[in-house]
Amino acid sequence: MADITSQTPQRSLSPYWTTAIAAALALAVVLTAPLYLDIYLTNVLIRALFLGVLALTVDLVWGYTGILTFGQSAFFGIGAYACALVFTHWGFGPGWFVAALVIGILAAGLIAWLVGLLSFYHGASPLYSSIMTLALPIVLVQIIFSGGRFTGSSSGLSGFPTYYWSINTWFIIAGVLLVTVASLAWLFVRSDFGRILIAIRENEDRCAYLGIPVSAIKTGLFVVCGAIGSIAGFGYAAFTNVVAPELAGFLLGTESLVWVALGGRATLIGPILGAIGIDVTSSYLSGSLPFLWKFIVGVAFVVVIILLPNGIASLVTGAWRRYKARGKDETAAHRHRSNVTLVPAKSRRLEENLSDDKAPILIEALTCRYGSLTVLDGIEVVGRRGELLSIVGPNGAGKTTLMRCISNGGERTSGEVVIAGEKIGRRSPQKIVELGVGRSFQNTSLFDSLTVGDCLRLARYRIDGASYLERTERVALPEPALEILKATGLDRQLGLETRYLSHGMKRGLELAMVLATEPRVLLLDEPTAGLTKPERTAIGDVLTRLVEDYGLCVFLIEHDLDFVREISNRIVVLHQGKMLLDGSVEEVVSSDLVKAVYSGQETETPA
Amino acid sequence: MATLFLDILTTSSMLFIVAAGLMIILGVMKLINFAHGAFLTVGGYSAHVVTDAGFNAWLTIPAAALVGFVLGIVVERVILRPLYDRPLDAILATWGLGIVIAQVITFIFGRGVQFAESPISGTADLFDISYSSWRLILVLVAVVLGAALTALLYFTRFGLNARAVIMNENLARGLGIDSVKVRALTFGLGAALACAAGALITPLLSIDPNMGLPWLVNSFMLVLVSGVAIPGLALASLLLGGAQVLVSTFVSPIIGGITIVVLAAVILRIKPQGLSRG
Repeated sequence: MADITSQTPQRSLSPYWTTAIAAALALAVVLTAPLYLDIYLTNVLIRALFLGVLALTVDLVWGYTGILTFGQSAFFGIGAYACALVFTHWGFGPGWFVAALVIGILAAGLIAWLVGLLSFYHGASPLYSSIMTLALPIVLVQIIFSGGRFTGSSSGLSGFPTYYWSINTWFIIAGVLLVTVASLAWLFVRSDFGRILIAIRENEDRCAYLGIPVSAIKTGLFVVCGAIGSIAGFGYAAFTNVVAPELAGFLLGTESLVWVALGGRATLIGPILGAIGIDVTSSYLSGSLPFLWKFIVGVAFVVVIILLPNGIASLVTGAWRRYKARGKDETAAHRHRSNVTLVPAKSRRLEENLSDDKAPILIEALTCRYGSLTVLDGIEVVGRRGELLSIVGPNGAGKTTLMRCISNGGERTSGEVVIAGEKIGRRSPQKIVELGVGRSFQNTSLFDSLTVGDCLRLARYRIDGASYLERTERVALPEPALEILKATGLDRQLGLETRYLSHGMKRGLELAMVLATEPRVLLLDEPTAGLTKPERTAIGDVLTRLVEDYGLCVFLIEHDLDFVREISNRIVVLHQGKMLLDGSVEEVVSSDLVKAVYSGQETETPA
Repeated sequence: MATLFLDILTTSSMLFIVAAGLMIILGVMKLINFAHGAFLTVGGYSAHVVTDAGFNAWLTIPAAALVGFVLGIVVERVILRPLYDRPLDAILATWGLGIVIAQVITFIFGRGVQFAESPISGTADLFDISYSSWRLILVLVAVVLGAALTALLYFTRFGLNARAVIMNENLARGLGIDSVKVRALTFGLGAALACAAGALITPLLSIDPNMGLPWLVNSFMLVLVSGVAIPGLALASLLLGGAQVLVSTFVSPIIGGITIVVLAAVILRIKPQGLSRG
C-alpha cells in the first residue's frame, strides 16, 4: 500500500486543485487556440465544442448512470429553439438574451422532469426509460413541424438577430462553457454522489433496498443534464444563427451515443474527444467523401461496441493501469488509496428502539399469489422489540417471499404489514427502508467496482446525504456495524474493490451495510450461508448483541437448525406457504410435526 | 366512411407486416433489432433490382426474403453472437449496422429516389368505392402471415424449440436444444420477414436509403405494446394503427405521425408487460 502512495504523490493533492489545474490548462488552450487556427477550423470547432457539452450530458446519463438515452438531443433542440423563437418573435437585446436562455433552461428542465416522472419508477424496466427517451425527440420534432410559420416548420428558422461577435469571441465562449461543465462534471462523478450514480448503474435494486431514492436521483440527474443540454443548444443556435428540427431529432440523439461509445463511456474526456473528433472530421470530409465518412463511423462504432466496450479511451486508460500495476499482483492494482475513516455515529434510531413501545413489526393475514399459485397464505406474525425470530421451513416454503413482501409494498396480494405503527401500504422499497426495515439478501449482491468504504458511505446516504462535489473522508457508522467490520477484518480493507473480497467478508459487508441504515427491523436471508465456523460464531454474537443491547427485532432465515437453536428467541415454521408453528425454541424443536416436515413425511393431517 | 374503414384496416395490416420480423427477433433473442429499418430498406432495394432487371414483380417478395435471410445469418454470426451477454450493447451495435447498411446502399444506388413496379396496379371496387388493390392485398398478406407464423411456432419442431428458448433458455439448452442455432435461424427469419415487408410496402412508397427509418420506431412501439405475441401484435396494430388513421384524418397528419409513439408510451406505463399479458 505504502509504495503505491509514494509513487503517485499528485494523488495527495486535493481533487479541487488537480481539477483547477487541468481546467486552467484547458482554458489556456482555448484562449490561445484561435491564434493558430484558420477561420474555417475555428468555425467548425465552435459547433463541435457545443456538441461536446451535449456529449458530456449523455455520458453522465448513460455512461455513469446506465440509462440508455436516445433523447438528449431534445434538450439541445429546446435550447436552440428558445433562442431562435425569442429573438425572431419577441425581441433581441441583453435582457431578451438572458430571458431566452432562462426560458430554454426552464423548458428543458420541466420536460426532463415530466419524462423522468413517467419513466423512472420502482420496477420500471431499463428498456421503458429508453423508449421514453426515444419518443421524446420524435414527438418534439413533430411539434416543431406542426408549428407552421412560428417554428419555421421543416426548414427551421434563420437570420434572426443575434450577437455578431468575432469568431474568436464565440470560440472562447464555447470553450469556457465546455471546460466549466467538464470540470464540474469531473468533480461531480468523483464525489460521494458520483459513487451513487455508479452504484445505481451496477445494481439499482440493491440501492433501493438501502433506502436510496433511485427514481428521484435519476429524475434529478435527467433534469440537470437536460438544462445543461439546453444551454449548449442555446449557444449553438446563437452562434450559427440557424435552427432546424434536426437539432432536436432522434438522429442527433443517437449520434451523440456514437460519440460517447467511441470515445469511451464513463470517462468524460472520451466523449468530448469523440464528439469533437467526429464532428470536425465530418465537416472536412463531408465535401469530398460524405458517404464514405459516415460509413467509416458506422463500422468503427460497431467494431468498438463489440471489441472495446469501454471505447477507444480504454486503450489509453488500460495501458495506464497496467503501467501503474506493473510488478504487483492483480488485487493491488484495484486497491485504492483509502481516505476513509470510520467514526461512530449517533444512532438515534437504535436508542429510540429501547423506549418505543409499539410492536416494531406486525404482519396481518399476509397472502401472496402468483396467478393461481399461492406462495404465502394468511401469515400472522408479531415481531417484538429485542427479539430474534427465526423462520425455518423446507425449500419453497415461502421464506424469502415473506421477506420480499415485508420489504416491498408492491409484492403482496393482500394483507398488511405494519412497521412501528405505520402501514406499509404499497410503498416502494426505499420508502420502507425509511420506516426502519433493513434487508440483507440471500446472494451477496454488492457493487463490484466500488470499494468497501464507498459501499458503506452508500448505505449512509439516506441518513447523512452525499456531497455533490467532493469525497468525504469520514463515514459515520452505528456501533454494531463497526463491530462487524472489526470482527471480519473489513476495517483494514476499506480501499479494496468489493469483487476481490472473500465470501465471508462480502457477507460481513452486506450485514454492515444493512445495519448502517439504522433499521429497527432487520430481515436477514441466510446471513451465514457458506461461512466458516468462526465467522458464523462472530455473526451470531453480533446478532445476539443487536437484539439484547440495541433492542432490534431480527427476522432470520436459516437452514442450520443448531445455529437457530443457539441464538433464537422464537421460531416460526413455514410449510407450503402456511404457518405451521409459532413458538419458543423448545416447543418447535420438540414438535413431531416439524420433524415430519423436515424428514419429508406426509403432512396432510397435521396433528 | 367505407374509405376510413378500409384505411384503418390496410394501415393496420401494413404495420403488422412490418413489425412481425422485429417481434420474432425480440421474442426469441430478447434483442431489439435497430437495424430493422435498414432491413426494410434492403427489401425495398431488392424489389427495385428485381423489377429493374425485368423480372416479374411478384418475384420481388421471395427475392427480398432470400436476401434478408442470408443477410440475417451473416449479421447474427459476425455482430450479434459476441454480444449475447450485453443486451444494451447489442441494441447499439444493430443501430451501427443500420448506419452502415444505409451508407452501402447510398454507395451503390445513390441518394436519389427509386421506384419498383407493383405486382398489381389500379383499384378495386369494394363497398361502392374504388380502393387501391395493392393495399387490399396487404390485408390478405397480413392475415396469411399471422396464420403462418402461428403455425410455425405451434406446429413445427423449430417452433417448439424457439418457444422453449423464449421461456427458459438455460433449461432449453440443458435439454439438448441448440440455442445458438435457434437464435441464428430466428435472426435470419426476422431479417427475411423485414426485407419481405420492405418489398411489400414499396409499391405504395418511393425507395430511398432511409425509407425504413420512420417505420422502425413505430414497429418497435407496436411490438412492445403487443406483449410480444402474434395475436397481441394484431390487436396493437389495429388499435394504434386505427388511432393513427383517425387522428391523421380528423386532427392533423403531423399529429397522426406521433399517435402511435405517444399512445404506446402511455399504454406501457399502465401495462408494462403489454396487451397480451397480465
